[in-house]
Amino acid sequence: MSKSKLPQRLVQLGVLVLILFSWWYFTLPGGINQLLLPAPAPVFRDFWVLLTTSSIWPDLLVTVREWVSAVVLASLLGCSIGYLVSRTAYSVRVFDPLFAGIYSIPAILLYPLYLLFFGLGEGSKIALGTTIAFFPVVLNTIAGLANVDKAYIRAAHSMGANDLQLFWTVMVPAAFPVVLTGLRLGCIIGFLVILGGETISSLAGLGHRIVSLAENMESSQMFANILFAVLMAFIINGTVSYVEARGRRSAQ
Amino acid sequence: MSTLDTEKSKGFQSPRRKEEHHVNRGDAIIKVEGVSQAFGAEGDPRRVVALESATLDIARGELLSLIGPSGCGKSTLLNIIGGLATPSTGRVTIEGQTVKGPSPQKVAYVFQENTLFPWRTVIDNVKLGMAFQGVAKAEREERARHSLEAVGLADFCNHYPAQLSGGMKQRVQLARALGLQTEILLMDEPFAALDEQTRMVLGEDLSVLLARTGKTIIFVTHSLVEAVFLADRVAVLTARPGKIKQIIQVEEPHPRKSDFMTSDKLSDLRNELYELLRDEIRKTMNVRAEPE
Amino acid sequence: MTAITTTGVSVARRGPLLSPGLTRLLVIFLLFAIWQVGAGLWGDPLFLCTPVQALRALPHILSDPKVDNAIVVTIYELVTAFVVSVAFGLCIGLAVGLNGFTKQSIMPVILMMYATPQAIILPLFVLIFGIGPAAKIAFGISHGVFPVIVTTVAGVQNLRPQLLRAAHSMGASRWQVFTTVIFPHMIPSFFTGMRLAMTAVLIGVLLAELYVSTAGIGFYSRLYAESFSPPDLFALITVLAVIAVTLNELCRMAERHFSRWNIG
Repeated sequence: MSKSKLPQRLVQLGVLVLILFSWWYFTLPGGINQLLLPAPAPVFRDFWVLLTTSSIWPDLLVTVREWVSAVVLASLLGCSIGYLVSRTAYSVRVFDPLFAGIYSIPAILLYPLYLLFFGLGEGSKIALGTTIAFFPVVLNTIAGLANVDKAYIRAAHSMGANDLQLFWTVMVPAAFPVVLTGLRLGCIIGFLVILGGETISSLAGLGHRIVSLAENMESSQMFANILFAVLMAFIINGTVSYVEARGRRSAQ
Repeated sequence: MSTLDTEKSKGFQSPRRKEEHHVNRGDAIIKVEGVSQAFGAEGDPRRVVALESATLDIARGELLSLIGPSGCGKSTLLNIIGGLATPSTGRVTIEGQTVKGPSPQKVAYVFQENTLFPWRTVIDNVKLGMAFQGVAKAEREERARHSLEAVGLADFCNHYPAQLSGGMKQRVQLARALGLQTEILLMDEPFAALDEQTRMVLGEDLSVLLARTGKTIIFVTHSLVEAVFLADRVAVLTARPGKIKQIIQVEEPHPRKSDFMTSDKLSDLRNELYELLRDEIRKTMNVRAEPE
Repeated sequence: MTAITTTGVSVARRGPLLSPGLTRLLVIFLLFAIWQVGAGLWGDPLFLCTPVQALRALPHILSDPKVDNAIVVTIYELVTAFVVSVAFGLCIGLAVGLNGFTKQSIMPVILMMYATPQAIILPLFVLIFGIGPAAKIAFGISHGVFPVIVTTVAGVQNLRPQLLRAAHSMGASRWQVFTTVIFPHMIPSFFTGMRLAMTAVLIGVLLAELYVSTAGIGFYSRLYAESFSPPDLFALITVLAVIAVTLNELCRMAERHFSRWNIG
C-alpha cells in the first residue's frame, strides 16, 4: 500500500505543475488577455504584498465578524430548536420534514429581502449566513437526539437515572458526533454564502474587495485576493474538520 | 420436495446412485493434479503457501465435501477448480481439458456471500446468469421459472433480493446456478452465514434436489455434520499449507433424510472427522499464538 | 417557535389527534397567519408586506412580459447548466472512478477544487463571459459538476467485489459487466448526485443572476427593492422559490424511482 502511494503523489504533483505551467505559458505576451488572466508572477507578487502588509485587515475583519456572528447565532438557534423538536417522536415527524423542505429552497433567494431589511452592511450577510447555517445544525441536532439507541436509554433507566442525568450522560454524548457534523457543515456553508452575499452587494469584506478590484480591472490584485480567500476557505475547512474529529474522539 | 422420496432404512443404497458409484469410480470428471498455490514471491518472509500439492479425482455424479481448519486453502482449491484463480504449480482438468479461466458452460458457482444483484428481481437474477452464459433469450424465462420452482421459490419471482431472508437468498443463488444447467456445481460454504436450523433444512432440501439432478458437486464447509450429511466423500485438509490429509467415504444413499442426521452412523463419521481435524485446528491456533 | 413546539408536545401527550402531515400544514398556516397579522398591524409598508399583498402582486409582475422573459431565461439557464453538469460530471466521474490509479491520484485534486468558495470567482466569470446567460450557465456548471463527479466515483467504488466475481464466474464479458453490474450499481448514487447537482446549480445560477443587477432577475429584484415595493419583491422571490422546489422535487422523484431496489 505505502509503496503504491508514491506514484499517486507524483501524478498529483504533476497535475499541479501542469496547471501552473499552462497558466504561465498561456499568459505569455500574445496569449490570453492580461485582464482576464494575469501572469503568475505579478499575482504571486501581489499575494506576497497582501500577506506582508495590513491593507487587507479591515476587510478580513468584516468577513470574519460576519461569519462568526452567523455561526454563533445559527448554532444557538439550531441546537435549542432541535432539542425542543426532538423531545417527542410526534414533533420530530411534524418538524423534521418541514425543516428539510425549507432547506431545499436556495436560501440565496432571501438575500434581496435581507438587503431590504438590514441594508447593504454586515446585517444582511449575518442574516443570510445564519439562515443557511441554521438548517444543517437543526436537522443534525434532531437526527442526533431522536436516534439515540433505545438500548442505552433503557439501560440508564434500569439503573435509576433521572431525566436530567439521562440527558447529560446518555443523550448528549450519544448525539454529540451527529450534532458536530451539523455544526461543521454550518460553519463551512455559512462562510461560502457570506462570501457570496458580499460579492452580490456589500460595503466591505473579502467578497466586496474582489468585486471592486474586478470592476477596476486590477486583475493581478484580484487574483491575489481570490487566492487569499481560497486559502482561507481551506484553512477553515481543515480547522473545522480537525475540531470535529477531535470532538468525536473525545466523545467516545 | 419431501414427497419425492421416502426410503428410510439405513444402509439402503438408491439403485441409481449405487450404480453411478460403481460405473464412474474410474471415470473422473475433475482431476486435480499436484496443485499448489502460494502468495508472495519465493524467499519473501511474508510468503504464504495456501495449498501444497493437492491431488484429487472427482467422479462424475459425486458429491465431495472439502473440510479443514480456517485458512487451509479449501476456498482456494475451489476457486482453482472453478478457474477463478490460477495455481502456482500443477493443473486441474475438467473432462480432460486444462482449466485456464472460468468455464461457465461446465461449472456453476454458489458463493458464501450474497452475490445476487440487488437491482434485479429474483427471476431477473436467475436469467442474468444465463445471459452471461450465452443462453438464447427465448429459453431463459422457462428455465428460470423451472429452477426457481426446484428450490421452492416460484412465488417470489418478482421480489427484490432485499425483500428475502438470508436462507431464501441462498436458495435463489442455488436456483441461479441450477439454471445454468452445468454438469458441475461448486459451492463455497453456501450456508455459512445462516442460522443452524435454516442450514439443516436447506441441507436436507439440497440432498433431495441433488439426488434428482445427478450433478457433480464440490462443497466447501466448516460444519462437520453438514459435510457428512451431504457428501459421498469428505476430503479433510491439513492446516496451512493445506494438503489433503485423508478422504472419508460416506456410504449412504441420496436423498438423505432427517433420520440420517440423528443416526449413529453419522455421529461416528462425524467423530472420526473431528479426530482428524482436532490436531490440525490446534496447529493453526499455535501458529496464531506465536507472534504475539 | 417555542410556542409552536410546545403545542406539538402537548398534542403528543394526549395521543396524536392529528396526523403529523396535517399538523405540519397547520404550523405552516399558523406562521403565515402570524406574518399576515403582524405585518398588517406593525409592518412598515416600505419594507414589509403581508402574504396576501404578495399574492396579489403575483399577477401584476407576471403580466409584465419583461419579467416573464427574465424568468424564462433563468429557467433556461438552470436546465442547461444542469444537463451539462450531469453529462460532464458522469463522464469525468467514470473516467476517474473506474481506474484505481486515476481515482487515487486525480480525486484529491477534484475534491480540492470542490472545496473552493466559487462565489468569489463570480466576477471573473462575468469578466470572461459577459453579463448574458453564458456567464450564469458557466457559473452554474462550476457548481453542479462536482457533486456529480464525487457521487459517480463513490457509486463505482462501493461495488462489492463478490458481485464482480460472480458475474465473472458466469462468463460475463467486460461490456456485460459494465452494463449489468457496474452501471446499475451506481444508479442510486448517480441520482443522488443529480439531486445535489440541481441544488448546487440553483445556488450558482441564482447567485450569478442576483450579482448581475443590470439585467434579468437581478435587475428586477434590485428595482423592486429600491422602489420600495415589497409585494413585488416577495412575489418574484415566491416564483423563483416555486421553480426551485419544483426542479428539486423532480430530481428527488427520479431518485426514488430509480433506487426502489435499494430500499427493498
